[in-house]
Amino acid sequence: MSQVNRLSQGGRIDRSQPLNFSFNGQTYQGFAGDTLAAALLANGVDVVGRSFKYSRPRGIVAAGAEEPNAVLQIGSTEAAQIPNVRATQQALYAGLVASSVNGWPSVNTDLMGILGKVGGGMMPPGFYYKTFMYPQNLWLTYEKYIRKAAGLGRAPKENDPDSYDYLNQHCDVLVVGGGAAGLAAALAAGRSGARVILADEQEEFGGHLLDSRETLDGKPASDWVAKALAELAGMPEVTLLPRATVHGYHDHNFLTIHQRLTDHLGEVAPIGQVRQRLHRVRAKRVVLATGAHERPLVYSNNDVPGNMLAGAVSTYVRRYGVAPGKRLLLSTTNDYAYRVALDWLEAGLQVVAIADARANPKGAWVEEARAKGLRVITGSAVIETRGSKRVSAARVARIDPQALKVRSPGDWLDCDLVASSGGYSPVVHLASHLGGKPVWRQDILAFVPGEGFQQRLCAGAVNGVFALGEVLADGCAAGIKAASEAGFAAASGELPKIFGRHEEPSLALFQVPHDKSTARAPKQFVDLQNDVTAAGIELATREGFESVEHVKRYTALGFGTDQGKLGNINGLAIAARSLGISIPEMGTTMFRPNYTPVTFGAVAGRHCGELFEPKRYTALHRWHLQNGAEFEDVGQWKRPWYFPKAGEDLHAAVGRECLAVRDTVGILDASTLGKIDIQGPDAREFLNRVYTNAWTKLDVGKARYGLMCKEDGMVFDDGVTACLADNHFLMTTTTGGAARVLEWLEIYHQTEWPELKVYFTSVTDHWATMTLSGPNSRKLLAEVTDIDLDKDAFPFMSWKEGQVGGVPARVFRISFTGELSYEVNVQADYALGVWEKIVAAGQKHGLTPYGTETMHVLRAEKGFIIVGQDTDGSVTPDDLGMGWCVGRTKPFSWIGWRGMNREDCLKENRKQLVGLKPVDPNKVLPEGAQLVFDPKQSIPMTMVGHVTSSYMSAAMNYSFAMALVKGGLKRIGERVFAPLVDGSVIEAEIVSPVFYDPKGDRQNV
Amino acid sequence: MSNVNVYKQRPDSGRAESPLFHAGLDELARKGKNSAGVTLREKKLLGHLTLRGDASDPDFAGGVHKALGLELPVALTLVANADASLQWLGPDEWLLIVPGGSEFATEQRLREALAGQHVSLVNVSGGQTILELAGPKAREVLMKSSSYDVHPSNFPVGKAVGTVFAKSQLVIRRTGEETWELLVRRSFADYIWLWLQDASAEYGLAIKA
Repeated sequence: MSQVNRLSQGGRIDRSQPLNFSFNGQTYQGFAGDTLAAALLANGVDVVGRSFKYSRPRGIVAAGAEEPNAVLQIGSTEAAQIPNVRATQQALYAGLVASSVNGWPSVNTDLMGILGKVGGGMMPPGFYYKTFMYPQNLWLTYEKYIRKAAGLGRAPKENDPDSYDYLNQHCDVLVVGGGAAGLAAALAAGRSGARVILADEQEEFGGHLLDSRETLDGKPASDWVAKALAELAGMPEVTLLPRATVHGYHDHNFLTIHQRLTDHLGEVAPIGQVRQRLHRVRAKRVVLATGAHERPLVYSNNDVPGNMLAGAVSTYVRRYGVAPGKRLLLSTTNDYAYRVALDWLEAGLQVVAIADARANPKGAWVEEARAKGLRVITGSAVIETRGSKRVSAARVARIDPQALKVRSPGDWLDCDLVASSGGYSPVVHLASHLGGKPVWRQDILAFVPGEGFQQRLCAGAVNGVFALGEVLADGCAAGIKAASEAGFAAASGELPKIFGRHEEPSLALFQVPHDKSTARAPKQFVDLQNDVTAAGIELATREGFESVEHVKRYTALGFGTDQGKLGNINGLAIAARSLGISIPEMGTTMFRPNYTPVTFGAVAGRHCGELFEPKRYTALHRWHLQNGAEFEDVGQWKRPWYFPKAGEDLHAAVGRECLAVRDTVGILDASTLGKIDIQGPDAREFLNRVYTNAWTKLDVGKARYGLMCKEDGMVFDDGVTACLADNHFLMTTTTGGAARVLEWLEIYHQTEWPELKVYFTSVTDHWATMTLSGPNSRKLLAEVTDIDLDKDAFPFMSWKEGQVGGVPARVFRISFTGELSYEVNVQADYALGVWEKIVAAGQKHGLTPYGTETMHVLRAEKGFIIVGQDTDGSVTPDDLGMGWCVGRTKPFSWIGWRGMNREDCLKENRKQLVGLKPVDPNKVLPEGAQLVFDPKQSIPMTMVGHVTSSYMSAAMNYSFAMALVKGGLKRIGERVFAPLVDGSVIEAEIVSPVFYDPKGDRQNV
Repeated sequence: MSNVNVYKQRPDSGRAESPLFHAGLDELARKGKNSAGVTLREKKLLGHLTLRGDASDPDFAGGVHKALGLELPVALTLVANADASLQWLGPDEWLLIVPGGSEFATEQRLREALAGQHVSLVNVSGGQTILELAGPKAREVLMKSSSYDVHPSNFPVGKAVGTVFAKSQLVIRRTGEETWELLVRRSFADYIWLWLQDASAEYGLAIKA
């Protein structure tokens, strides 16, 4: 039974290229050029899924993006799974594997199907809310099964083997849609020399022209499409993007396009190729030529497979050479749909009848149909169909659309295909993404794009222009206007000639009446994807949901991947009628991106795996890797955390590293510290104003620690700044603060004190910094430098220039460990060689490389803060006990002075930095632990602070911590308690935060 | 001069490692393919100086010209002669690139020519590198990486901009019809290198020594 519905000729498929594919485990054959939907129809596959709520069998309805039922799962392997693929938009390729997403356990024999039929009437809108909400704690259980039964696809569980990327595009004119209007617009704009992008979501450009009965210049319309494309392809500034859906229209004429580069070739991209690309387009002008979707008619059992959109039938016949049935019954409200009957007849198939809801239609195609002997039943419509998995008959009756009444019992006509057309809804989605409300036009019974807040034009059917000749002219005019507005001289070119055709207005018919009331008639589906019926919408309005947005949410009309393509206009017209208001009063729901689903791969682009986030490395990184460092993320930097030896864990390694620094000498890569070169005669004054302390008297050759506050008086950054020359300073910042401190300096210089002559330049990356710390650091450094390291010649808090390891260096004698320390700075290109020479010389001194963890422990033993760990943006210098670092008599008011003198900042009971010494010296307080004074009080306890830093000290052999405690500076000697989540309590004594060498003798030797 | 510490930071000899030293570009260049859509070369270990001063002061422009033989470039451009390139970085900021090792002498020459003016000159040679990207597909690699418009109508030869690049920032300079330079900070160089390999994979990437 291969391709039972394939016509013997016709279509744009390549019959010499048969392609095998599988659907729900069964193998079929189609042709190159088919969509998956066309191939399924060619093989007589009627049921493609079960409906979302009622689990009714469903077949293919449409031929494009508006398809509600054939939303399938694609992929032969776990890694290649893609949910939510519309079969109408998926090109067939050899070996394609597809399956239904709804219908657990299977599409054709489905437990839910029975429940659906019987239970259908018991599942009105709000059913889940009303039925499963109580008892509330069982909802999670219910939900699991409901969701499983509902289906809707699944994400792959394995890594995606493909690659995806972004391409940033800029253009003068972006034309959305490659149908008649879009091609005409692109040609007109392209001929002006403007940069034009033409994006179309289908496999081929041409849109509706590919299956049109109409001719251009006396030839098939597809000939003109080929000619137009050839001309566009020859224009160097025109970019053609096929298989590219413009899925989002964002602010400032920024649009996103999801292009499927290889999805037509296979489920995994050929090696070296990108599977999908997200174009991020900034367009000066946008021409929306998105066309229109045909509206189906809403009649009873209009969801049985074999009920299709009229235009889709024509598309399958003319474009794919597929007849999705044998005996066609057409139900229409307009002239244009008559083409379906004519196409069907020409394909040698039987047209049972045409039911036209209008009383006396006389358009050109109506007359042509009559002349060809087709039976036209006027004033009538299909009001109901019959069949379980395929239509077997339909009842045609006289109707009164105004009164919503059936005026005759009607006849059941045998047929296997009912094509319906209720008119055409412009695809206003993109035009509305930014909030422009669509406007109702009664003359064409459609919403057209409303006010555009962006630089956009609309052309063709989306604009409510439907006749082909007018569509081409409208597209051409839009292309000219867009290019002109973008600054190009565009002229009108010649348009192809069209054979004029008389067409009569269509009739408003948003719901076909039934002889029973809407509530009692067999289900009349409005939104097939979300199983919303006319009765459901009526019920929603009766229950008080009057706003269109409320009706949408109560019924799920236009939800999810559908985004209101097929059912929205019918649905809101039914709601309007039910509420007794007009359609424009009812209005549309909000249209949101994305127009059709976009894969996560395309959204992520290349920003995944190793490229997810930049990793910054120092010039010494290779050595750290070779020497087994574990790394810690500090901002984007990868810093050595600790250097474990065989068998060591973090605790053991850090203990060893700490003791090495205290006992002999260690070496740290400190290159990540921010470094800012400051030059200018007012550099010193600038430092006075941005630091809390005074800089006037810092001599050349000296260095000083500085605290920086924001205007509110809260500590913001800290570091050592050295005076290199009278007008020249080198500032260091925290690793994480480097960029924001530089910005901070620039902002104040540019906006507040432009009169100060000073410039700032980042030299963070230029200098590599190696810190030697420990009692033997002088001895070691002396072996590799020509600098005089004598304690008087090179005292604490000063710096010298000289050779280190044969490379010019600036050496700063400053200390973050409390030990004798030298920070060696060399141009980063030469750092590794210098480091290696120091390490070689250091062997006999037991030189130990150490990482950030050891650095943290050692500085905490000394009570040195880390901004951002011991501070959190709410801590003043006084809170830190660092009042010594505040220049209270500086003449010019500096940043933070006013702030820190606010009443609240002067309170004695503020949280203040103290040391904590656990009573049990083996217990390490967790960082972040909340503290209380009374552990026996009832919950919620009164919290008085928290632990900011906490470690085990190898040098002192007990645990210790730093903490912010209310009024802590006056509570030295008192006890605090940390009640932990496991119910235990750690008791600690409040002590000075300086645990080790409080007099600072060790760094000053 | 004495108000500023001018220090010769590069040794006359000794092993130097550019920011992409670890990538082994020389070795990759030997294995290179011929039909690549994109070629990449690190213009490494050059002398980089950041110059700041008052562009509206004729003495400043004159001093720069006297020392370098180059006019101060206007916004978003780059000027060059055989030895040096000078690029606008901001309203009062320029980047001067000279042959590696000549930056100290160049700084002294500039300081002398600008003596008495309020200027800043900072050696940043160790902190950045230039990656030259060339070939018919180089522009597409840039389009994948940056939202800045690199079309010839917006980005003629001689233009230079600081912009977003992947999830980082850098400076893009167009030095020829199909030749671009990326000014990359040392610590980000590995990320940019990984990114460029990935972005040019579909076009073929060749490394030039």
